Amino acid sequence: MSDKKVIMKVENLSKEFVIHGKKLMEPKKMLHALSDVSFDIYEGETLGIIGESGCGKSTLGRCLVQLHKPTSGMILYEGEDLWKMNGEKKRETRRNIQMIFQDPYSSLDPRKTASYSIEEAMKVHGLGENSRERHQRALEALQEVGLDIQHMERYPHEFSGGQRQRVNIARALSISPKIIVCDEPVSALDVSIQAQVINLFKKIQQERKLTYVFISHDLGIIKYISDRIIIMYLGRIMETYTAEGIYSNPLHPYTRALLSAIPPESPFEKKERMPLHGDIPSPIGDQVGCPLAGRCPNCTERCKKEIPKLVDVGDHHMVACFLYE
Amino acid sequence: MSENNDVILKVEGLKTYFYQASGMTKAVDGVSFTLKEGQTMGIVGESGSGKSVTSSSVMRLMPSKTAKIVEGEITFDGVDLLKLSKKDLLKFRGNECCMIFQNPMTSLDPVFKIGHQMVEMIREHHKVSKKEAWNQAVEALKLVGIPEAEKRMEAYPHELSGGMCQRVIIAMAVCGNPKLIIADEPTTALDVTVQAQVLELLKDLQKKMNTAILLITHNLGVVWEMCDTVMVMYAGNTVEYADTKTLYQEPLHPYTWGLLDSMPKLSSSSKEALVTIPGTPPDLRLTGYCCNFYNRCPYVTDACRESVPPLVEVKPGHFVACHRQNGENHLKRGEVNGDE
Repeated sequence: MSDKKVIMKVENLSKEFVIHGKKLMEPKKMLHALSDVSFDIYEGETLGIIGESGCGKSTLGRCLVQLHKPTSGMILYEGEDLWKMNGEKKRETRRNIQMIFQDPYSSLDPRKTASYSIEEAMKVHGLGENSRERHQRALEALQEVGLDIQHMERYPHEFSGGQRQRVNIARALSISPKIIVCDEPVSALDVSIQAQVINLFKKIQQERKLTYVFISHDLGIIKYISDRIIIMYLGRIMETYTAEGIYSNPLHPYTRALLSAIPPESPFEKKERMPLHGDIPSPIGDQVGCPLAGRCPNCTERCKKEIPKLVDVGDHHMVACFLYE
Repeated sequence: MSENNDVILKVEGLKTYFYQASGMTKAVDGVSFTLKEGQTMGIVGESGSGKSVTSSSVMRLMPSKTAKIVEGEITFDGVDLLKLSKKDLLKFRGNECCMIFQNPMTSLDPVFKIGHQMVEMIREHHKVSKKEAWNQAVEALKLVGIPEAEKRMEAYPHELSGGMCQRVIIAMAVCGNPKLIIADEPTTALDVTVQAQVLELLKDLQKKMNTAILLITHNLGVVWEMCDTVMVMYAGNTVEYADTKTLYQEPLHPYTWGLLDSMPKLSSSSKEALVTIPGTPPDLRLTGYCCNFYNRCPYVTDACRESVPPLVEVKPGHFVACHRQNGENHLKRGEVNGDE
């Protein structure tokens, strides 16, 4: 692990959103979407990020592509802070980190053809000598994702869901990024189409030596595609380890509960459920204690007062729980 | 039809078509199944395969202007649903049969309190006083495990989380002590941990009340956990229908094979490419002349392109609609197509 090159480094990243009061003179509230998140992304790996809705995984993805400005903390790309770059360097970095969104329909302009959408991205980044060359490169990008020349001049509504997501992938690929942040790229697709798109992601990664940050709530897909996995809960990292390791040896109570909640794989399998009662607490307001304290079966007095730190329990297996200190 | 007392819902040869300017869409084109008392049946399939239209047809919730049940029979507890008058239908819905929809947030009216909506629903179906209805509603909320039920009655839907809203919907559904609950993707909008809670709740209630559940989902894991029998749908047709264990162990239809294979497995550590079903589902305006799966099927023969395969009972309780699996022919999973 340590011999791999770190392409991106996230240090103590926090993101807060201000919620204005609805009534006159009502004080502002803080929504802590991300609190003190640190991790590395190695070149050529797939980093999976799992969590329930509202755990901050999408905010994290958006911070990585500079759609959100973090409240505090740093994101270093090849050793430089994303938010301190200027001019040409900034533009180049933006080109190198691309994003694919969840909903393949709303991420394409309904009034622009597929080829226009792809060419526009290249134009913005100053790629290609002239429009003819850009057109040619758009075609190549489409062919790479399994579409062909007949799809060039089609509008988004003329594509099926899987094809639309392919156009999105082609658009991200057309400007040769190094990192692609995929925010639930297959959850809007059907099972049989899902498998096609996942295979496509894998194929492109091998051909282009890309780095993926793969955000999803589907644990089966994450395990299949990822090398390492980060488990998030309420804006904090709970556990980080290799994909294999986290499933065979989950340490954090939340990870265990999450894994036990997956529906069984066969009608013969009887799952032992580790129930988590209640719902995710609200991220609004200041946090006291471990975010899981109210739902955790192993909760102690200490958990209610202190926030556990992410510690290494060996072999880069990081856990944020007092049980393992 | 109703000799067998166990059978609560029987659907035979159901065809629901939509008539639009762009043509006739065969959303459901020949679906048959039976559901016994206290059992759970799953309907799986991709979007557009007609799962939801089947359930809406049972509830008679189709828009009357565009949709029409062209053929088929739906018998519920010995009563032909297609012949019910509007008034009887209203009685049927809510009393005998309830529906739980996919999105809990949109199934509740955002401008009324939970209590108001529940009391309204109860008083619609039973002649009880407001106070009595209120008490019944509180009881129902307690039954589905909502903490501080009295307090929640005064809450608006937006004050509750998705999982809580779905519990409220389930509470409303079980108020009338229905014989059948139709759950249309009840957990798709929920997180895994909440999904597990809601499924546990449904199983619990089923045991207590001996209700039959028709569960529509695209998640096979949910089927394995919940269902006794399962029907696989593709492009408006039933392609396979069997009890859950048989379907898992010996699936017969090539589409079912593809569906089972394309799910990434948690237990396997293989990083090989997933098995996919090539191509996309057909346009439902153009189906009905041949096997709908023929252009994606690796085992296609000339017969598949020429006629619609009938649903055949190959083993007791195991139905499959495939030209190559009709008793005389027997295709094995993974076999190379040697015919052509």
